[in-house]
Amino acid sequence: MDSITLKVPHTTERPAEITNYGPTTHISQPSVTGTSVVAFKYKDGIIMATDCLASYGSMARFRNETRMISVGNNTLVGMSGDTGDFQHMKHTLENLLTHEYDMDDGQNMGTRSIYKYISNIMYGRRSKIDPLWNSYVVAGVENGESFLGFVDYYGTTYQSPTIATGFGAYLAQPILRKYVEGHEDELTEEEAVRILDDCMRVLYYRDGRSFNKLRRAKVTAEGVEISEPYPLDTNWTIANYVVGYGS
Amino acid sequence: MFRNQYDNDSSTWSPQGRIFQVEYASEAVKQGSAVVGLKSKDHAVLVAVKRSPNELASYQKKIIRIDDHMGIAMAGLTSDARVLSNYLRTEAMRSKMVYGRALPVGRAVNAIGDKAQTNTQEYGRRPYGVGLLVIGHDDTGPHLYEFNPSGIVSEYYAYSIGSRSQSARTNLERNFETFQDMSLKELIVQGLRSLRDTLQQGKQLDALNTSIGFVGKDNKMTILDGQDTQEYLDLLDEGEAMDTE
Amino acid sequence: MTSIGTGYDLSVSTYSPDGRVFQVEYAQKAVDNSGTAIGLRVKDGVVLAVEKIKHSRLLVPNSNKRIMTAGKHIGFASAGWMSDTRHLVKRARDEARHYYGTYKTEIPAKIIAERMGMYVQAYTLYSAVRPFGVSTLLATMDNNDPQLYMIEPSGQYMGYRGCAAGKGKQAAKTEIEKLDLDSLSVRDAVKEAARIIYSVHDSTKDKLFELELSWVCAESNGVHTHVPQDLFDEAVEYAENADNSDDEGDEEMEDDE
Repeated sequence: MDSITLKVPHTTERPAEITNYGPTTHISQPSVTGTSVVAFKYKDGIIMATDCLASYGSMARFRNETRMISVGNNTLVGMSGDTGDFQHMKHTLENLLTHEYDMDDGQNMGTRSIYKYISNIMYGRRSKIDPLWNSYVVAGVENGESFLGFVDYYGTTYQSPTIATGFGAYLAQPILRKYVEGHEDELTEEEAVRILDDCMRVLYYRDGRSFNKLRRAKVTAEGVEISEPYPLDTNWTIANYVVGYGS
Repeated sequence: MFRNQYDNDSSTWSPQGRIFQVEYASEAVKQGSAVVGLKSKDHAVLVAVKRSPNELASYQKKIIRIDDHMGIAMAGLTSDARVLSNYLRTEAMRSKMVYGRALPVGRAVNAIGDKAQTNTQEYGRRPYGVGLLVIGHDDTGPHLYEFNPSGIVSEYYAYSIGSRSQSARTNLERNFETFQDMSLKELIVQGLRSLRDTLQQGKQLDALNTSIGFVGKDNKMTILDGQDTQEYLDLLDEGEAMDTE
Repeated sequence: MTSIGTGYDLSVSTYSPDGRVFQVEYAQKAVDNSGTAIGLRVKDGVVLAVEKIKHSRLLVPNSNKRIMTAGKHIGFASAGWMSDTRHLVKRARDEARHYYGTYKTEIPAKIIAERMGMYVQAYTLYSAVRPFGVSTLLATMDNNDPQLYMIEPSGQYMGYRGCAAGKGKQAAKTEIEKLDLDSLSVRDAVKEAARIIYSVHDSTKDKLFELELSWVCAESNGVHTHVPQDLFDEAVEYAENADNSDDEGDEEMEDDE
């Protein structure tokens, strides 16, 4: 009997002629990945959520990862995509902040600066055709003003009162358009949490790379707070009526 | 002029632990015409006397804008100052492009200080022959720094460099505690008053030889020359008239 | 120094007939002319203190700092040329960052001290450069283990429980030797450091000075930082009172706004 060859995308061998004589290439697929980031503005600042899963292909490989970090005093960064590249970015930002600490001159490295810096790294890497396989959501409150920005592996950037990456761009974004946009200044924290949990629940139902263990984070004038992992209430009774998958 | 065997290059210590080449470079600063810098809690100001080699020539520029939030005034070898100001402008642009923020003033000055230090440690180089007063405004308010050929950078409430600048410093030391709450106008006039103390007998500040630069919380770096300085020169004279009455 | 002026003291790459490198000794002279810097290593932390001599009243207090930080956990104090100090701090920061980038752990004190020693020593080898006119004090916490090193212009570096450099180093060393460094707490060490700086300060020669105090200890979360303002004030008060009983010049200026 023939042995079974497993073809995971990033372990697929390239043809020998390309490896030996072809152009220089870099990694062209992510390997261990995190799925969506959902974030939006509300009355006091910005709220964000990610789940705790880092998938290896379709396998739920690491189930206790944190994909949101606090950078400096008042900035929250959420990530989807390759976790190794995220670790590289974390290290780069850590260096940046150590340098700021060393300067000891009372100058402030604000959210906009961190966003600009991340964007430059992302665009720089894509221009080397060696991108970091991530989307980043950068949030912060500066001088009483909320900031929420997005940057992806092309170095594309935009700012918006609501941002969802990955699958969330399809499944959560419409919900945010309906319930958040136009009301950012009125939404209370309780309302924001409810909307966010709804988004995450929809994502958990329909995104095969998501996980029912997530963290929520908020950034306000007081600073960044990242919650402990928590699950959502879900209802799978309807699953019995779905025909054609499994048995 | 005396000579000693330890003063030929900047890579030799004298037995007393001095580097003569650096001290000589500081002499070059004292040859330059005087510059005065001072600050209040909202503004920082530079005033300078320009020199002209003869009546047909223009006056040598003394104040250079680096960015919207920063400017420098120089005394000494002006061509060395241009190297440093180009570097500062590049760094200021880099800060804007990489971090989207104005380059913090202290870091800017220290960057040229570090650059100047190299010239005091390696054979075949000479220290920069220029002193700078740097003003700027950033997250921590207005600043005034002095840069000198040794690469040492210091922050001041008020300071002066260049020829006969000690007279201006004496004036500043007497008054600097009152600068904190001054308006921009008062600050400029105060600067001119100190600057005037550095002039030789028979010389005067006028619209041709005076240069003024300022920056503040709500003021981008601005340089005034020629007729634009007249308003402040008039205020200076009025102030004198009032004092003598 | 009998060989001064004989031509054997012009280059760092020349030995004198009796086997000395005068240029290094001259660089040391530059350190000896500078304001005093001291370091105290006690059981739960390290304290650095510097007598920053001010040549003008126009200088902004608390600016132009002589105690700096490299990485997050390394305190860097110096006696000697300020511009050379900045050069070395920059190097120390690069070393700390590079080490952390490679090993994802903070650089240990003995490694950074060795690397800085090597770097300084390289400037005593070639005629194209001059030695650094700086003695550097490094204070760190390696996993709750306080460490203090001093690097001389020659590149010689050693670990210390207490050390001093600059014009008051003899007097300061005598004072440090009287302390029981094994039983002192960091908080007390801060006060003693302030007292020593005040006592070695010669107010007849240098009118104006500013005290700088920093520490790295559990209370600072293992990070090197300036001491908190209340402790600073307490230390200054302690130093001033101790100073008066010594009947030293009492025309000190206050250090803060």
